Amino acid sequence: MTKTSGRTDLLIALVLIVVAIAIPFQIDSRYVLGQIVLALFYACIASQWNLVFGFAGIFSLAPVAIFAVGGYATAMLCFFLGWSVWAALLPAALVAAVFSVLIGLACLRLTGVYVALLTLAVTQVMYLLIVTDTECFVQVGSVCRQLTGGPGGFSRFGDFGTRQLLKGDWMIGNYAIVCTLFVVIMVVTWVILKGPMGHAFRAIRDNPGYAVARGINRFRVQLLVFGLSAFLTGLAGGVYAAHFQVIGPTILQLPQLMFIIAIVVIGGTGTFWGPLVGTLVLMGADELMREVGEFRTLGLGLIIAASIVLLPNGLVGRFRDLMRYAGRNRSAGLKTSKDIQ
Amino acid sequence: MNTFYAVLVSGLTVGALYAIASIGLSLVWGALGVLNMAHGAMLTLGGYVAYGVITGLGLPVPLGIFASVAFGALAGGLIYVLIVRNVLRQAKADFEANVMIATVGAAIALENGILLVFGGQPLRQPVTVSGSFELGPLIVPWQNFIIMVAAVLAMAVIASLLNYTRMGRAIRATAQNRDAARLMGVAADRVYLIVLMLSGAVAGICGLLLSAMVQLSPSLGNDPMLKAFIMCVVAGLGSLPGAVLVSFGLALLEAWVQYQFGARWGFPLLLCAVVVVLIWRPSGLLGKTEVRRM
Repeated sequence: MTKTSGRTDLLIALVLIVVAIAIPFQIDSRYVLGQIVLALFYACIASQWNLVFGFAGIFSLAPVAIFAVGGYATAMLCFFLGWSVWAALLPAALVAAVFSVLIGLACLRLTGVYVALLTLAVTQVMYLLIVTDTECFVQVGSVCRQLTGGPGGFSRFGDFGTRQLLKGDWMIGNYAIVCTLFVVIMVVTWVILKGPMGHAFRAIRDNPGYAVARGINRFRVQLLVFGLSAFLTGLAGGVYAAHFQVIGPTILQLPQLMFIIAIVVIGGTGTFWGPLVGTLVLMGADELMREVGEFRTLGLGLIIAASIVLLPNGLVGRFRDLMRYAGRNRSAGLKTSKDIQ
Repeated sequence: MNTFYAVLVSGLTVGALYAIASIGLSLVWGALGVLNMAHGAMLTLGGYVAYGVITGLGLPVPLGIFASVAFGALAGGLIYVLIVRNVLRQAKADFEANVMIATVGAAIALENGILLVFGGQPLRQPVTVSGSFELGPLIVPWQNFIIMVAAVLAMAVIASLLNYTRMGRAIRATAQNRDAARLMGVAADRVYLIVLMLSGAVAGICGLLLSAMVQLSPSLGNDPMLKAFIMCVVAGLGSLPGAVLVSFGLALLEAWVQYQFGARWGFPLLLCAVVVVLIWRPSGLLGKTEVRRM
């Protein structure tokens, strides 16, 4: 599988950063900016799931569960212990990482669909236990508050402080925070992928037998990628909770999970920019389908199925095929370095 | 002592339902080596088709049952022709995951289609029987009795199809060794199609029986499908007798836990059970020992 070279990645990143800085100056509508922030959250989870599934080849269906753990841990630390949101983010991400490693310990002895089914079951159990939680943990005034927040979830546990600081422009402040988060996540992912660890991930995905023979410990490497990606996903979950000032069990539902998976599949599994492309395309399609309201979910399902069948390597893969085709025509048989890669 | 028998009866009924749900999944896994995530939506479809034919069109009950079987088979066939066949053709190593994701897409579309046609409000399945009979200390509602008999009947039909027909032999051969079967002249493409149609038909029946126990809703099949997956994994994916056995065992356990500790602990317990079993025996209780350990 080809991969974009470091220089191309840097170029794309610079362009994206310029666009990201320009966005708040060009867009006045708070709704549009809010949707962009939401898209960035999706891109964060998707990029980490891509690390786990696309690069390390573990078919885990736990990304939203880990995201939720990060969000819930942030909310609970603020709600029960009175921490500030900023202080809670990193500990919450650590909780998510530990949670993910525990899941990994239980199911990474297995491969393929077994992992998928177990992680899916974990997500479902979390959802059911939270929704059916009715036991009082603390009494807030006359309202009873469950340990897990119950079906309503947590709200009013604090925010980033952008509302006091920027007044009407608070959304721009939050946008900046989420953008920074996304950049950090992408940079860390890039460094991991270019380093020896990234090579180990891919070796295990492409040829487990050979990788193990070369002295790579499959279990340890996969556990590592589980923990790392969960830390970043959990961090995104915490920022999500703080941005929306609410976290509830709805983010654990199946459609959310499928949306993440669809983003990666459509963008291109195992490509660095795939999740971002997928997010843009799917959020765009979602906005367009808002016009036809009730057919949105139907359309989403069909898009997922069709893109697996018609775009085996996603949009980024298709784009690369096109580029290679064009390049081959231009250089008329001369093998360029891109072709060899 | 009365509660013990009540738990027993409900556990056996639910077990029968899980058993036919997991048979459908296991069939496909055994022959094709992929998981059909649209199985739950196919269960839902079976229930709704019966509702539409019997209540909506006012046709007799047997016709409704036939329709849900036929539509289930049709849905299975379409999923093979439109999705699974094309993904298998891509000759990519991770077709397992790709088929799962694509069938999830199909499931979302199917479930939402049902929601658009029938609406989200719970509906009452017309094929219900009231009353109960006593069998010694057991008080068995007719409804549960019929579900159990129908489930056993469905299992018997599948077992004899697999054991005594040419096609059944081809299916078993493909499940045992795909390449060898193909070399012996088994038309793999046709076997795959028939397996998916068969599993769809079973899903139709299962959905019909299921909707007689609980009300019809567009998400009817999701929970049973996930539990059927768990049964299949505990039994070892692809092992039909194992799936049936484990379904009954775990359903009884679930019924007991739900009675003892409350309904919300049933599913977490199943999850714990499967984790424990898989740590002890990674290929399931009755599964073939996995050769590739990498």
